[in-house]
Amino acid sequence: MSLLTTAQRWPRRLRTGLTLLSVLIAVAVVGPWFAGDPTGIVDPRRAGLLPPGASRAVVVLRDGTTRAGQAIRRTATGWVLTRDGADETVPESEVAAAGIRRFWLGTDSVGRDVLARLVAGARVSLGIGGLALLVALVLGVGAGLFAGWTGGLPDAILMRFVDALLAIPMLFLLLFLAAVFRPSLAVLVLFLGFSSWMGVARLVRGQVLSLKERDFVLAARALGAGPWRIAFRHLLPNALTPIAQDGALRLGDLILVEASLSFLGLGVQPPAASWGTMVAEGQEVLANAWWLTLLPTALVAATVIAAALAADGLQELSRSET
Amino acid sequence: MLRWSLRRVGAGVALVWLVATVTFLLVSVAPGDFASRLNDPRISPAARLRWRRQFGLDRPLPLRYASWLATAATGDLGTSWTYKQKVTTVLAEVLPNTLLLTSLGLALEFVGGVALAIVQLRRPHGTGDRLITLATLTAYALPAFGVALGLIALLSYRLQLFPPSHMLSLDGEMAHGGARLLDLARHLVLPVTAIGVTGVGAVARYLRGSLLDERREQYVLAARARGCSQRQALVRHALPNALLPLITMMGMSLPFLVSGSLVIEVVFSWPGMGQVMFTAALSRDLPLLLGGTIVATVAVVVGNFLADVAYAVADPRVRV
Amino acid sequence: MREDRRTLVAVVIIAASLGWSSCRRPPDRVREEQPREGARPGGQVIVASLADVTTFNEYQSTGELGEAETIDLLFPLLMTEQPDYQLHPPSFAPRLATSWEFSSDNHTLTFHLRPDARWSDGVPVTAEDVRFTFLAQKDPRVGSLGMEMKDFIKDVEVVDPHTVRFNFTRVYPYQLMDANDGHIVPAHAWGKVPFDKWRATDFEKIVVTAGPFRLAAHTPQQTIILERDPGYWGSPRPYLDRLVLRVVPEMASQLAQLIAGEVNVVQAVSPQEADRVKANRDLNLVEFPSRMWGMVGWNNRRPMFADRRVRRALSLGINRKSLVDTVFRGHAELGSGPVLSTMWAHNENLPQIPYDPAQAAQLLAQAGWRDIDGDGILERDGKPFAFDLFYPASNTLRRQMALLIQADLARLGVRVRPVQMEFTSLIARTEAGDFDATIWVWVDATKVDLTSVWSTPSPSQGSNNFIGYSNPDVDRLNAAAREEPDYTRAKVLLDRIQELIVADQPATFLYEARLLVATSRQLRGADINAAGLFFNVDEWYWGS
Repeated sequence: MSLLTTAQRWPRRLRTGLTLLSVLIAVAVVGPWFAGDPTGIVDPRRAGLLPPGASRAVVVLRDGTTRAGQAIRRTATGWVLTRDGADETVPESEVAAAGIRRFWLGTDSVGRDVLARLVAGARVSLGIGGLALLVALVLGVGAGLFAGWTGGLPDAILMRFVDALLAIPMLFLLLFLAAVFRPSLAVLVLFLGFSSWMGVARLVRGQVLSLKERDFVLAARALGAGPWRIAFRHLLPNALTPIAQDGALRLGDLILVEASLSFLGLGVQPPAASWGTMVAEGQEVLANAWWLTLLPTALVAATVIAAALAADGLQELSRSET
Repeated sequence: MLRWSLRRVGAGVALVWLVATVTFLLVSVAPGDFASRLNDPRISPAARLRWRRQFGLDRPLPLRYASWLATAATGDLGTSWTYKQKVTTVLAEVLPNTLLLTSLGLALEFVGGVALAIVQLRRPHGTGDRLITLATLTAYALPAFGVALGLIALLSYRLQLFPPSHMLSLDGEMAHGGARLLDLARHLVLPVTAIGVTGVGAVARYLRGSLLDERREQYVLAARARGCSQRQALVRHALPNALLPLITMMGMSLPFLVSGSLVIEVVFSWPGMGQVMFTAALSRDLPLLLGGTIVATVAVVVGNFLADVAYAVADPRVRV
Repeated sequence: MREDRRTLVAVVIIAASLGWSSCRRPPDRVREEQPREGARPGGQVIVASLADVTTFNEYQSTGELGEAETIDLLFPLLMTEQPDYQLHPPSFAPRLATSWEFSSDNHTLTFHLRPDARWSDGVPVTAEDVRFTFLAQKDPRVGSLGMEMKDFIKDVEVVDPHTVRFNFTRVYPYQLMDANDGHIVPAHAWGKVPFDKWRATDFEKIVVTAGPFRLAAHTPQQTIILERDPGYWGSPRPYLDRLVLRVVPEMASQLAQLIAGEVNVVQAVSPQEADRVKANRDLNLVEFPSRMWGMVGWNNRRPMFADRRVRRALSLGINRKSLVDTVFRGHAELGSGPVLSTMWAHNENLPQIPYDPAQAAQLLAQAGWRDIDGDGILERDGKPFAFDLFYPASNTLRRQMALLIQADLARLGVRVRPVQMEFTSLIARTEAGDFDATIWVWVDATKVDLTSVWSTPSPSQGSNNFIGYSNPDVDRLNAAAREEPDYTRAKVLLDRIQELIVADQPATFLYEARLLVATSRQLRGADINAAGLFFNVDEWYWGS
């Protein structure tokens, strides 16, 4: 049976979720080649905090600076830019490019194109969020399975270790790390993953504790299955539902938490864009330009919804197959 | 059971010590100390050096740690450098405020989540189920400050139903008895809702997922065969089992219960642990930081203990 | 779990609002004697405040935001410093002291106190209180922040209950200012607490005041209610019945509450919000020059910034005028040198460094920085011209500055990496010299002394010269200027110091900020200026 026909029999939630996720990932992968420069500053005094859809006449000078105004026309001597009601002539020799530019999703406070930043941010945020989630899942599932299945002293030690990690004020660990490491994406992914696996571990352990006394596990045991076979063939698939549900929500958290690491000097540093930092920066001008917060938030929400729908669908699928 | 409890208490004490020690180390190695912020040309730079001596920040780390541990072991958490009062006094002032807010918030989250999940399961995959899924997921993905500011803008400034911030109005602070309580209740509505709304989605989802799974377990089928309605079978038989992961989740919320939510406290001008601990962190008020961390750790220990007990009660198959 | 997010994301949102500065110096107050026409007594004003007061005892204070202003409403100073520092060092008006005089050798300063001054419990304010205050200020066990101000005061003698004498160990220009520093505290109430217990005593329980207002109620982290003290001896008495400080720890919420009428005064409106406030017919926006200014500090010890041609090139290569206009939207002045343009000591003839990328490129080339490998970035000895520019996290204005500086310098072939950093970490690393460049803000005192920020740092005494600037001529002139009692002669020295510093460009001077205070339009008589929010709080009243 081909994949396509299989996919048609998938639950609707799974199809919707996966489609939405694929669109987001596609935008993240190929979008940055089309959406323009996410870091280019356009005349912040005249093109800063523009609402979605606004357009400005923009002249890019040879030295790299830009001037924005309301209208522009070309004359024999050069370009005439109307700025704040007055005309300003820029000699042809100084102009690198000129024209009317539309900002489909507006600009931020220094006149950067929000659409370009959202698209560039998709790559950063989805990449970091996805990888960090992977780190958290590998660590958390491993630790949870081990603790729950083994029980006894190893379980007690591992769980107290998790407790300790949950209680230590993360802020200072971060401050210390920020002082030691230069910000890099690898450090960021590892840190986000390491700071997030404890929840997964507790969840998996709880599932294993409850599952391991159930009939099918007892039956497998009676049939002489080895502990690892039971853990991976019987326990893990049954614990998959809460793990997937949890992972979907966790992905959203990780994308937003990245912003706080940037704040501490560990995460994505300006001028690079990420959804998390865009939410945080937008909040500073919320009263004047609410769309700056709303747009990245909507994308984070879309990601969470897509992942959660896929998780729901996966659950339905596993239910219908057992 | 007694031996198990004793072991847990011992492990708990060790954990508190461990966390306090690690925190002490981290705060010490993180850049900056309590005298750092005296970087004002209006204050003599000599004051900075003087402060380091005054607060013992110029002594070697092991010595500082030993003297802190010696005092803390007697139950004395010392004096906050910022507030010039006993750490216990400062915490006792704000902890009840935080507990009030967070416990109500978590209760709303839990009760709301369970209620939504049951409504959703009436007709799984129906329109209601879908709408609720979408709404709760969206609420979950919204940043806390966004929800809080939205609630304030709508319910406070636009409709003038509830006050936008603080625990009590100016008149409420002067009032006593019922009037004061009523004023407090009015001030609680928005922050509690803000906490509850973002989390309700997570609870509803976990529960919906588990209930859908449990529905097909043999004991539920058996109950249905005995003539229970689908609803009764779910609520009486499946719900207790499905609550298990939720108990873990709630157990993990205990640090939050005690530490509070900084964002919510700041947006609603709520005088709680979140704000006090955050300013203590920024100013490197070591005694207050350690005191607050110890309180939060004790909460984690107690929370997990209770969660494990609850596990054992909810699911007799689990041996603790 | 959500808990990770709850604790972590929080960090992002708050720092902007909680970022304190150690504003400790008390605001100066002056009284206008004639009552205002049409002013009606009564009512209360609610002032939004970013943080609560942690203590009402100034000598216990660790410099928390806003504390000094509240303390100034409750306790008296000997004299009131006048905000007339534009023309000469600030002069003083009577407050607790009615008059004062120096001895002929200038070693002794005698104050005559008001005979009618009373504490809020009815006990007279006497010379004994002044002496007790001095003992507390000087005591190392108390360890007050301003202890060094009293370095050259040997002792304080009580001549009679209303006459007190300060004996100095030497004669210097700021004797009057140093004697006046710090509010007088009640000996009869606080003298019962031994000095070694001061750092861990709750003085609120034994608070006795002597100001236009007294403390009526305090709910920690929420509200301070001050009520007019009917027994106040100073004049004029305030019109207002109550002054309420309401803690609202976030700027955006403060403004929203002002618009909704929940509070009446917001102390620091951001330049981005200024237009919105101006457009609101129920609000009034007060704008005045502050004593806060900003610069990019280049770490002069780093080889890449050791050459003053390079530092000058960086200043020439940043379009400072456009940067300041953009970031502050017209609510700041372009900075020119190390002394504020509103100060008497400011050198009017300092050259303003223009925006001149061509000359900047030339200077960089002279200093050996050339783009040899053609990657668009300058190199010297095989090393690219790239550095980290630190700025405090969640500070919108400084982030915008960092971005604009990055863009400007990129065109010169200099690669700037903006790095945001938690505030205390930033201070610590800057203080330790562990940085390349930092966007730094100073709030100047009315006492002009360029030693701590611009003289070569001395490790034993501490220094605020974090950027490691060192010029022996400046050191020598600074030492001479701080000893010169005649301010006109001191001005000559200070003018020369400013010329030297501007020529060396150890830092790029960016801006002098203006402060924006928003009030309800109906609030009348408020003359809020750089001397303090409550500068003339006696004159505030509600219009109809």
